[in-house]
Amino acid sequence: MNALTQPIATEQPLSKSQHDLHNARSLLEATLRFVRTQAQPWAGSGLTNASEDPYVISRFGDVQIRIEVAAALLERAEDFVNSHEDATETSIAIAEAHLASAEALSTASNAEFELTGQRTVLPGSLHDPLRWKLQVIGNFRLNGIHPPSSPISTKEAV
Amino acid sequence: MTASAQPTHTAHVIRSDAEAIAVAHKLAARFAVEASVRDRERRLPVAELDEFSASGLWGITVPKAYGGAGVSYVTVAEVIKIISAADSSLGQIPQNHLGVLDILLQTASEEQKRYYFGKVLKGYRFGNAFSESKSKNAGAFETRIRFNDDSAQIDGEKFYCTGALFAHIVPAVAVNEQNQAFIAFIERDNPGLSVIDSWDGFGQRTTASGGVTLNAVKVPLSAVIPAHKAFDEPTADGPISQIIQAAVDTGIAVGALEETKRYAREARPWIDSGQDHGWQDPFSIAAIGDLEWRVHGTEAILKKAGQAIDAALLDANEDTVAHASVVVAQAKVLSAEIALLASSKLFELAGTRSVLGKYNLDRHWRNARTHTLHDPARWKYHLIGNYLLNGVKPARHAWN
Repeated sequence: MNALTQPIATEQPLSKSQHDLHNARSLLEATLRFVRTQAQPWAGSGLTNASEDPYVISRFGDVQIRIEVAAALLERAEDFVNSHEDATETSIAIAEAHLASAEALSTASNAEFELTGQRTVLPGSLHDPLRWKLQVIGNFRLNGIHPPSSPISTKEAV
Repeated sequence: MTASAQPTHTAHVIRSDAEAIAVAHKLAARFAVEASVRDRERRLPVAELDEFSASGLWGITVPKAYGGAGVSYVTVAEVIKIISAADSSLGQIPQNHLGVLDILLQTASEEQKRYYFGKVLKGYRFGNAFSESKSKNAGAFETRIRFNDDSAQIDGEKFYCTGALFAHIVPAVAVNEQNQAFIAFIERDNPGLSVIDSWDGFGQRTTASGGVTLNAVKVPLSAVIPAHKAFDEPTADGPISQIIQAAVDTGIAVGALEETKRYAREARPWIDSGQDHGWQDPFSIAAIGDLEWRVHGTEAILKKAGQAIDAALLDANEDTVAHASVVVAQAKVLSAEIALLASSKLFELAGTRSVLGKYNLDRHWRNARTHTLHDPARWKYHLIGNYLLNGVKPARHAWN
């Protein structure tokens, strides 16, 4: 079993999403704190505080949107898991939650770097490749082909 | 079309959220059949609208106390999404009607509520004469209302009057000398009211979102409500207007994604793919996967927005209304993004033949681009970020 033959993680299928979402929220909190207390406004902006900068403000809007989508899709996947619906539908919902939380983490991480000049090290994702989750979802929705060997255990979730 | 101030049929009265969703699915299947032809020929959906309002879907937000089903806003958004996935012009037409029903609930007298909610349950449609294309900004009005002893007179010029052409009653926004906004309910055959079918936008073509002129229109005082009160105090009226916009755009995305899958199944394989069929293309497959989760994410946030509105209706205060505005803004950003993405990816995944005129697949993108301009998504990122970073509550108006 390697990264290419294991498109969906086994055991605790939503723990990766929960972990990413938790990290995304922590990064957002840290970035908010920095901008409120330490960041300097750009000299050309004519503003007293970085927190008044419209471009900084809207950047936070974007991060929050990605986090809320991840949280909503995680909740949706949990509902699938708990309702013991069709195993394929459940595994697709789990894959979608993974993609959303990974995007939230990546967006929060980029915003952190952009707004604080610091970067929290992101873990690599080769062991759990998102690219193949897109393939799994697309192949099911476009072609009706079920995920290979359905390695999801719906009973062990969260 | 001739102006009529009453519906041709008495409407069915829907009794529950579940019934509303079921009726929407049934209607959507019928509306989908000729949606492309109506768009191509700009054939206004007169018969379809009669069927739409006769189904009872235009009355689902009338509160139970007034004989309606008082459905949740989760259901309202779902209904508009379902109809818009089939025909987004039809999905948009009740937009202002539904908004006006909430303003009635918030600001009208008991007698006015009974009267107008009763009309709506019978199948009366409200259009709108709100926006003005020549005023300083979207929230500024030059249309005037002058009150006399037993009547009011309204004079002005309106644009983007979606639904007015098809309405039995046209609610018009006008301001008094103190610049306070009122809504006058003007019967469609009032001699001072002219509805001009001048909408020639490249998208949402059959909404007839044209102009209205109000020339010494006289209405009784009983036909006027103090609409400004819906925004002087915190109410969910702004988020209600907005969630319907987001639901239309989510519907466009859902419809475009379904169409994308249908055509991607039939696409030729790319020469370098080594495959026999386009549907085996690994990059097309992954692109569908990407659209799928983004559509589901948008639908999930749309539902959260409906829940936030329901909470604000139950207990309207500065905080619940601000929260509803913020969540609806998230739904607005996401729905605009995915409607444009899905309707553009359609061509990429279906291949060059999909641009042939005979398929008319560009209607999805034209509709997405047109309808998402209603209010700019760029200011929604700001609204959300300003609440998060600085605790600044969103301004209360019909666009937040």
